Amino acid sequence: MASVWAIQYHFVPLQPSIRIRVTKHGIPSSVVQFTYGNRLNTKRKFLCRAINASMGPSEELPQPTVDQAVKTDNDDAVTKKFHRIINSLPPSVAFLTKRHAGINFAIGFCIAIACFVVAVRVYVWRKAMYSHPGSVADLVRRGQLRSDRRGISRPLNYEDPFNNPLVKVDKGNSTVEICGKVYRLAPVTLTKEEQAIHQKRRSRAYQWKRPTIFLKDGDSIPPDVDPDAVRWIPANHPFATTASDIDENLAQNNVYQKHGVPFRIKAEHEALQKKLEALQNEQKLNKLVIDSSNAKDFERSFKLNSKSWETVEQSNFDNQEANSKPRKPDHAPNSFGSSSSSEKERA
Amino acid sequence: MVSLSFIHSSNTLKHSLYSFTPNNKTLKPPKPKTTKIQSLLPYNRKPQLSGETPRVVVITSGKGGVGKTTTTANVGLSLARFGFSVVAIDADVGLRNLDLLLGLENRVNYTVVEVLNGDCRLDQALVRDRRWSKFELLCISKPRSKLSLGFGGKSLVWVVDALKSRQEGPPDFVLIDCPAGIDAGFITAITPANEAVLVTTPDITSLRDADRVTGLLESDGIRDIKMMVNRVRTDMIKGEDMMSVLDVQEMLGLALLGVIPEDSEVIRSTNRGHPLVLNQPPTLAGLAFEQAAWRLVEEDSMSAVLLEEQPKKRGFFSFFGGNLITKRHAKVYGY
Repeated sequence: MASVWAIQYHFVPLQPSIRIRVTKHGIPSSVVQFTYGNRLNTKRKFLCRAINASMGPSEELPQPTVDQAVKTDNDDAVTKKFHRIINSLPPSVAFLTKRHAGINFAIGFCIAIACFVVAVRVYVWRKAMYSHPGSVADLVRRGQLRSDRRGISRPLNYEDPFNNPLVKVDKGNSTVEICGKVYRLAPVTLTKEEQAIHQKRRSRAYQWKRPTIFLKDGDSIPPDVDPDAVRWIPANHPFATTASDIDENLAQNNVYQKHGVPFRIKAEHEALQKKLEALQNEQKLNKLVIDSSNAKDFERSFKLNSKSWETVEQSNFDNQEANSKPRKPDHAPNSFGSSSSSEKERA
Repeated sequence: MVSLSFIHSSNTLKHSLYSFTPNNKTLKPPKPKTTKIQSLLPYNRKPQLSGETPRVVVITSGKGGVGKTTTTANVGLSLARFGFSVVAIDADVGLRNLDLLLGLENRVNYTVVEVLNGDCRLDQALVRDRRWSKFELLCISKPRSKLSLGFGGKSLVWVVDALKSRQEGPPDFVLIDCPAGIDAGFITAITPANEAVLVTTPDITSLRDADRVTGLLESDGIRDIKMMVNRVRTDMIKGEDMMSVLDVQEMLGLALLGVIPEDSEVIRSTNRGHPLVLNQPPTLAGLAFEQAAWRLVEEDSMSAVLLEEQPKKRGFFSFFGGNLITKRHAKVYGY
């Protein structure tokens, strides 16, 4: 009996019923009743008093009413009924739950930790999946950065495509599991004789000679060429041409070149250099011709164009290295020489 | 009577293969061979290069849109990941796409046409991939330039020859992405090639064109031709709406290099400029490309194909993750 009482003591349900009663003064108050044993009830009432003491000195504790007493009786009936249910339980369950309450708590704690770990792993996995664009890991994944040169990332491991955890052959060798899917296997049935038969068939059906001459539509076939070796290219073919802009030997040399500047770049460079040299030579000559004093003289001559030819001659005579000198005998001294100098000045 | 034979090459180093027993129609592992393969990677085995380097492979199809450029990009990058030096040449004179698939379109400044004209050297026209430094891209021409057909094929031969004699050594693989059709572009692309990979899809139009192209390749002297069947849908094969890979092989009579399933990830990777084989974790199609590249290195071919998808059997312990199926080398299988 004592043990039954002990069970009853622990198994009284913790169902505090909170009722809000309005006193005759209209002030709401909270009355907490506990269906514990008498000792606990006393303690809880004391606590309620302590809590309700904060309401104020003017407020009084609610006095139990007749309704309250009726409800208390009902609660006792419910409690008794529950006690009967508890007593009807097999003693082992009760014994176990009593004895292993601590273990239950531990199990619950472990389950909570496992759930937490799973949640963390899912979160980490999702984060790895949707990494921020532009991050270093993203660059490595996109191939912009080499992973094997970085100290922080793991090198790519190569996996044998046959000896692979994703490829599994069953013991009977009749099925194979790849990437989670199971397939039935069947052996290849092609024999060497069958292959030879197919080769013979194709050699009879497809007679083909490699073309050596490529001709456009309208071209005539050279006399010593096998007609089977001629290939006709339509005139409007977008990506084919029979004309080659470059010598064959030169093209071959270009392919085999391993060092130095490529042929065309070199040729262009040389051509540019020659052009520059020619321009420089011309500019030197031009500088020699256009002298400041000479220019002034020419200006004068331009201004005094209509006046006299003699002043122009004198200025030109003074400057023996003038460029316009050789032109003089070729052209009329009066008009053309002055006009040429004026053109130069304008230029 | 069903019989199975393997296509062997004299230089091939093979490790454990699977043989076919007609009684129970299953594959059993044969006795392991004595040839020891040195492992260059700490945990994974590297495929053993077979054949004479550089291996010049043209990837062609005849019909357009079957996946030549996708195959070139993915197989090329797979080879680079295996540790082999690869030069991929986009031999399409008018319509250039390989640079887009690789995400290198902004880095192509010079092409073979500029090299021929003497505007740059050959090494300046090669675009090195920053993700895998062993992979280089070379484009024939820019979209608006014309290439003389007279020495289109010769120029490619010169290019391959020049690559052989370059300072850093010849590349292990030269992959040539052939344009569609069988006209001048095709003739140019196949000129320097020693072997071919024929890409086809399991539909009648593609198969007919593939057969024609195979005949032309054999006429030109290329005998080592292997087939890759692309865009395979096992659900349609099961519903008999699509030819199976075995049907395709029966029609063409070519050895199988790889079978690539239909995968929407291909379109996404194309738009991103990020080839499929670089995805982590790998997709179905990506794994298939890698295995095809492995077979290409070892001059091997498939001896079994995947037929249809089956529901996964869940064992008692499947709740705990993983299953009791052991991992084995599935080199000869479809995927």
